[in-house]
Amino acid sequence: MTGTTTTAAPLVEAIGLSVRYGAKRAVDDVSFVIPKGRVVGLLGHNGAGKTTLMRALVGLARPEGTLRVLGLDPRRERVALLRSACYIPDVAILPRWARVQDLITLMGGMHPKFSAERARQLLRRTSVGLSDRVKTLSKGMVVQAHLALVAAIDARLMILDEPTLGLDVLSRKAFYEMLIDEWCDGERSVLISTHQVEEIESLLSDVLMLNEGKLVLSISLEDIDTRFVALSHDAAVAEQMAAAHPLLRYRTGPGPGGSAAIFDGAPPEHVQALGQRMRPSLVDLFVALTRKPELDRTQF
Amino acid sequence: MPSWDQRQPIYQQLADLLAAKLLDGEPPEGQAMPSVRALAALYLLNPLTVNRALQALGDAGLLEHRRGLGLYVTAGARERLKATERRRFLEAEWPRLRERLRRLDIGAEQLNWEDAR
Repeated sequence: MTGTTTTAAPLVEAIGLSVRYGAKRAVDDVSFVIPKGRVVGLLGHNGAGKTTLMRALVGLARPEGTLRVLGLDPRRERVALLRSACYIPDVAILPRWARVQDLITLMGGMHPKFSAERARQLLRRTSVGLSDRVKTLSKGMVVQAHLALVAAIDARLMILDEPTLGLDVLSRKAFYEMLIDEWCDGERSVLISTHQVEEIESLLSDVLMLNEGKLVLSISLEDIDTRFVALSHDAAVAEQMAAAHPLLRYRTGPGPGGSAAIFDGAPPEHVQALGQRMRPSLVDLFVALTRKPELDRTQF
Repeated sequence: MPSWDQRQPIYQQLADLLAAKLLDGEPPEGQAMPSVRALAALYLLNPLTVNRALQALGDAGLLEHRRGLGLYVTAGARERLKATERRRFLEAEWPRLRERLRRLDIGAEQLNWEDAR
């Protein structure tokens, strides 16, 4: 139904990518591709290397290894890259004194692929007015305005570092609605980092999970359902579950009795028969794959 | 934000939700389905997931593709859905309900058949 996505050149291709800060490797030997038409979640704890990786993608950090973004070398061809890739860093701010209309004029003068008309059209979805000054807008409105300005660039790749941090649930919902409705067209791809894993799970087509600089998972959401097996089970069979070496065991919801275990690959049939198969959630998988190694993975 | 349970794949849950709406005549037979993008934005889902759900409804004969126009609700979709739901009720739900009625000694005459709403 979605046509040929596999044969086209990927928008991002990283092979053996590392970024060093002194002796520390913030990003450590990471390889992945982002094809067109994807919504990719970049997950990881604070300090896992998410921001560094994003900065490398737009040429702001000097990596080792191979990195092509839209077929370009982000360090050496940064200007060409930024014509077709946009980036909202986690520290993004809009000038407080400016009116939204001024920002549109500014962007129009700065960016060859920016459409002022498109920006005004996107802003009509929001409660932000063209003559509003940034300093009078709520945090949620500023982020909406920022997204409208960036989404008005006819780019192929959008990189969003913690875009919804500090926003209330309605603002987050409005943000993602605009992103899906106005930006994703089956050709463009988005890379989003966030801590709100549960909320964003259903939006994603793929996930990249970083743990201490290393890529511990790079998979499509569709493949998660086939590769990982989550079994909900009664407390009575907990020991037999633990003996089958799951990645993680956890309680499901409040109340007694409800437990679950996640396995990488299907466990033996006699173990599967002890529980009920569930859809493995991204949060549980995230916890299973990024807990500190000194913790026992099978502890509750 | 909409919440999806962990019992089934998300696309299946969306397909069930859209089927329930079709049964209520939303949208009516012969009318266009909302676009993939509109559904994706409404339910905050990846468009690929929406595609899979629509594909499942198409496979069930509830939606048809009209060239250049998109997906439409087929004629007879509600009747087909109702038949499926009826079968599911009679085969899966009714035996359990009957068992419970027996256990509680409730006969047909004790049940109120008039006040449906």
